[in-house]
Amino acid sequence: MTKTALYSAHKALGAKIVDFHGWEMPLQYTGILEEHKAVREAVGVFDVSHMGRIEISGPEAEQFIDRLTTNVITGKKEQQAIYSVLCRKDGTSIDDVIVLRHSPVSCSVVSNASNRERVFQHISSLAKKVIVTPSYMQEGILAVQGPQSLSIVEEYFPELKDIPSMRCLKLKQGILSRTGYTGEKGIELFASFEEIERFWKWLMSKGVKPVGLGARDTLRLEKGYALYGHELSDTIAPTESVSAWAVKLQKETFLGKEALIELEKKKRHQYGVVLEDPGIARAECKVFKGEEPIGVVTSGTFSPSLKKSICIVMVTPELAVGDIINIHIRDKPCRAHIVQLPFL
Amino acid sequence: MKYTETHEWIEEQGSAATVGVSDYAQKELGDIVYIELPQKGIQVKAGDVVCVLESTKAAADVYSPVSGTISAVNEKLKEQPELINRSAESEGWIYKIQVSSPQELEKLLDKKEYYKK
Repeated sequence: MTKTALYSAHKALGAKIVDFHGWEMPLQYTGILEEHKAVREAVGVFDVSHMGRIEISGPEAEQFIDRLTTNVITGKKEQQAIYSVLCRKDGTSIDDVIVLRHSPVSCSVVSNASNRERVFQHISSLAKKVIVTPSYMQEGILAVQGPQSLSIVEEYFPELKDIPSMRCLKLKQGILSRTGYTGEKGIELFASFEEIERFWKWLMSKGVKPVGLGARDTLRLEKGYALYGHELSDTIAPTESVSAWAVKLQKETFLGKEALIELEKKKRHQYGVVLEDPGIARAECKVFKGEEPIGVVTSGTFSPSLKKSICIVMVTPELAVGDIINIHIRDKPCRAHIVQLPFL
Repeated sequence: MKYTETHEWIEEQGSAATVGVSDYAQKELGDIVYIELPQKGIQVKAGDVVCVLESTKAAADVYSPVSGTISAVNEKLKEQPELINRSAESEGWIYKIQVSSPQELEKLLDKKEYYKK
């Protein structure tokens, strides 16, 4: 099992630690509902050092990453952060990532914890005229999120004032980026373990609430964001997922494009769903329209902000907002309807 | 009060008994947001799944510590499932049962034995 630089800090705070893809990570400190609320209404900090940043540099860095991912990278603004998906030739998803395009010759790819090794392998194996370096053995990542996050972080990093949403900046302490996974204002800091510990301690002294992976999941689900292994996977194409907006089929070329075009007419669809009957749908629950099985739940939870039971489903037919479906929870059909994403 | 290996508690009151989940179990589950209560009047056997607790992260089955007929359920939990987090071994009780085989109670753990585990 692997630990982040902050493991003992989490333990000292009384965190409940879980095994997350081989990492000993804090699931919660005081409780998922309370931590969720802190991020929606004030500010919270997540240790996400298990995620991985991979550095790509060379004269054709942006073109190289552009050819490997579904979203447009080439020609974007300097210091832009772009959400994108890495596909295989067959159109299935290797990972969803944030590309930090520092300049045409320097990009970072930020991958999920569970995928960082294979993302590095994949990118390295295709590298031409670029140098691919994993930064994750030497650095950690903190996400500070919530309506009060920017004003607090500005006290520590005055440079933050000049960084707009979905942009980043290289500082002497690391990379500061206006990104996150909660749908709130916020930042992510990529820096040495030492700097991460220093910043964490400072945030604690300011009363910023530590938030675990439990609330991270309820926060992202309310915003309809994909979680790799649920909405995207080795068997789910990005065009079938809630991340379909990040696939630009009109791009001249990218790995997996032909397969995704081929899939267009027979692809499955993901929708946001609110349950009407009591119960909570979880991943793998079966979905029916009338008597007909049409798909499965990919993620489901109780939404702490809406106080409703919500889920994302993946189904074969196209459905419209308001359509009624049944979700089988422990073999009992529960009435539910399709809503527009995000939930919140 | 007696406990099961599967983290329920049971308290006898004559031929009836009250059942809930232990304080340890509620801490492990985290915030409970929904409970599927058992039906009043149904007959259950010891070890049957009688209801389900849903926390923000997962669902957990509740097993009946003894056999019998369910005589009452804690309706308050429908609106306030968090009562289980606040008071698992008192106000957060789940159901009452008319015990059909009192000898089953003898096999259960006492508080000391349970909390040693």
